[in-house]
Amino acid sequence: MEWIGLLNYAVFMAIFIGIYALLAIGLNIQWGFTGLFNAGIAGFFAVGAYVSAILTSPYAEGRIGGFEMPVVIGWLGAMVAAGAIAWPIGKVCLRFRSDYLAIATIGVAEIIRLVIKSEDWLTNSARGITDIPRPFGDLPYVQSQLAYLAIVAAVLLAAYLLVERQIASPWGRMMRAIRDNETAARAMGKDVPFRRLEAFVFGAALMGLGGALFAHLNRAITPEAIDPMVATFLVWIMLILGGSGNNRGAILGVAVVWIIWSMSEILTDRLPAEMAVKAKYIRVFLIGLMLQLVLRFRPEGILPERQREAEISTDSAK
Amino acid sequence: MLDLINFYLVPGIVLGSIYALGAVGITLVFAILRYAHLAHGDLATLGAFLALAVVSAIGLPVYAALPVAMIVTAGVAVGVDRLFYDYLRERPKIVTVMASLGVALMIRSLVQVIWGVDAESYTRGISRPENWWGIRLKDREIATVAVMIGLVLALQLFLLRTKWGKAMRAMSDNPDLALLSGIDNRKVVTLTWIIVGGLCAASGYFLGLNTELKSLMGWQMLLPMFAAAILGGVGRIEGAVIGGLVVGIAEELSVLVLPSEYKAAMAFAILLVMLLVRPTGLLRGKVL
Amino acid sequence: MSALLAMDKVRGGYGDADILLGVSLVVAPREIVVIVGPNGAGKSTAMKAVFGLLKVRGGSILVEGRDITGLATNRIVEAGVCYVPQVDNVFREMTVHENLEMGAFLRKGDLSAAYDRVYALFPDLKERQKALAGNLSGGQRQMVAMGRALMLEPKILLLDEPTAGLSPKYMEQIFQICRDVRDSGVAILLVEQHAKQALAFADRGYVLAQGANRHEGTGAELLADREVAEMFLGG
Repeated sequence: MEWIGLLNYAVFMAIFIGIYALLAIGLNIQWGFTGLFNAGIAGFFAVGAYVSAILTSPYAEGRIGGFEMPVVIGWLGAMVAAGAIAWPIGKVCLRFRSDYLAIATIGVAEIIRLVIKSEDWLTNSARGITDIPRPFGDLPYVQSQLAYLAIVAAVLLAAYLLVERQIASPWGRMMRAIRDNETAARAMGKDVPFRRLEAFVFGAALMGLGGALFAHLNRAITPEAIDPMVATFLVWIMLILGGSGNNRGAILGVAVVWIIWSMSEILTDRLPAEMAVKAKYIRVFLIGLMLQLVLRFRPEGILPERQREAEISTDSAK
Repeated sequence: MLDLINFYLVPGIVLGSIYALGAVGITLVFAILRYAHLAHGDLATLGAFLALAVVSAIGLPVYAALPVAMIVTAGVAVGVDRLFYDYLRERPKIVTVMASLGVALMIRSLVQVIWGVDAESYTRGISRPENWWGIRLKDREIATVAVMIGLVLALQLFLLRTKWGKAMRAMSDNPDLALLSGIDNRKVVTLTWIIVGGLCAASGYFLGLNTELKSLMGWQMLLPMFAAAILGGVGRIEGAVIGGLVVGIAEELSVLVLPSEYKAAMAFAILLVMLLVRPTGLLRGKVL
Repeated sequence: MSALLAMDKVRGGYGDADILLGVSLVVAPREIVVIVGPNGAGKSTAMKAVFGLLKVRGGSILVEGRDITGLATNRIVEAGVCYVPQVDNVFREMTVHENLEMGAFLRKGDLSAAYDRVYALFPDLKERQKALAGNLSGGQRQMVAMGRALMLEPKILLLDEPTAGLSPKYMEQIFQICRDVRDSGVAILLVEQHAKQALAFADRGYVLAQGANRHEGTGAELLADREVAEMFLGG
């Protein structure tokens, strides 16, 4: 039945949109609310995926593992590990302008990629980690997919509400003050580097969680699962297009970009093999061009950052 | 001792010269335009493949391809600036950093579409090293180091002796005052991109000449090039050269203590250590 | 009196808020005019308005009768107005001579007469031609900054607090140079913190307060004015 196939595809898409939305919210904390440039999203994603995989998967010959912990522990571990990697990098680089963080995060992602590719004992290198447990994975395919979608949606909702609450709190107000006028914020006695570090670590933890959700969805993770540059860049274009500084915009951007990205893949897959390979790169080219066009013609994104009424009135009252 | 020189020091200096060419460009963009240019590596890739096109399609000798590639890449760099960076001038610089990441991806996919993803090389066959009192050097290795030194000296002369070179230094030193003095910002920016594009092409060309051409070759040089620029001190041409050589030699020597897969980690380690202990670099550069 | 520079009821500011609420002043050829006033009175801002460095929302700025309001910086330079900012006013990593060369960037042809003129005004600099400007003392740096601006042979020189942070000895020297510059045919408009000394040496002065004119007159008149003395000169 055609419509069942379509429905399955829609659910599959929705799960991916949920995972990317988590990455976009993580990036929104770093970039949208704090102004930190993270060019190593894929690295934090991969750390999350592998850590959760190692913690929860059964014993396998030749690599560390066999802990078989509950999935929830794996996901928490993923967040902690990604945050723990972000912490020293942020500590060193956040004293400087964001350019340095951009370079350093490219480096981190590269090192993580090297470790994953070459450390047999840890990641089983090219063969990857398999048999990762999946919640409700024993159900028939459709139900199992739907159940996983529900889990991803719940995690996303929780993250969204948590971040929204943080942003509306004095903490969020302070972060925006730092982003918009660092000198003034510093003069008011804010510990700017530490606040930034908090945002950087928090955002990275969400990216790690996104990686974990991805690994458990596929039940396996290999070094080739994601192209680091393309994955990182997709999240960026999603956030910028949707509207950085606005979580709903970020989620909308994820949906729009992911649908365009997947649809174009379906189209190019139907091309003859020789052209299909080239078409893959043309898609990447177009996504790069799309960023330039958004930056030029709609830099605030589809849903711009909201002006916060309360904030404006209190500011003018001062 | 000779083994150490032949197997580590010579390749390190050659690789370092390649990094130096790129790092000088990075340091110029950092100092004059004031942002980290993330498409630098992929611009080098493009330069390398343009040289390949000149060699294979037009049939020019390998060394003659270098100036052609430098000129064309310089043109591309100016075009990229006009199309994608120039209109972001009034926005925070980090937005331009983001745009340059997009440009990196675009250039790379363009290279992949045109030339494919298989490794290529300029010449077939093995080049034999000559023996200089026990030190074995290939022609192309000597050419790499010599051309690097020549280009950097020419650039230094230009910056120290000519009116427009001084204008570039003035723009790097104090952009507001440069504008107050009536220096044309746009011309300085264009001039910077011509120089940076040419240096990028040279860097990619020599990497291709000494190893092989791959679509990711430039991207993988990005981190070492930035590490070199920061190690030398941002805005310091001679610092970028020293930085490039240090990073290149350190990467080759790292094989003695680290698995060779982690050669690339060396640049990252140098970058972090520098930012931690001396962010102004060896020669007291700017810190943005 | 034919005015070289005339500001008429200029209003404007950096963001949306106006800092200048109506500043008018006139500088005649070969005249030293000083702007004094308490902190936050808009002294430096008035000067930057001439140079197009902030949004002017009302009034007009004329140079030799020509309206330069809202022109691009390099156009204003070409009209014969040069500006020396209070801080960061030299190229620190370039030599004294190169600083002067950058000052003459817009000029073509032989510059040796211009160099001679500047070095004649600042003999100290002639000795230190090859020194990096960043390695000079504060007073010498101020001379480099003024020399750089004079290389274009402007009709009027705008100086933003040229004596800030300098010792009394250097302050006297800078004032003397200002007189020499005036005598060589360049009018000067300067902003000063040291109101008493500045009014004593200037031809005329304006007292600004809260973004608007408060008093004006010759230096001697203002110094003799009781209100001026009490409000701005600390008795």
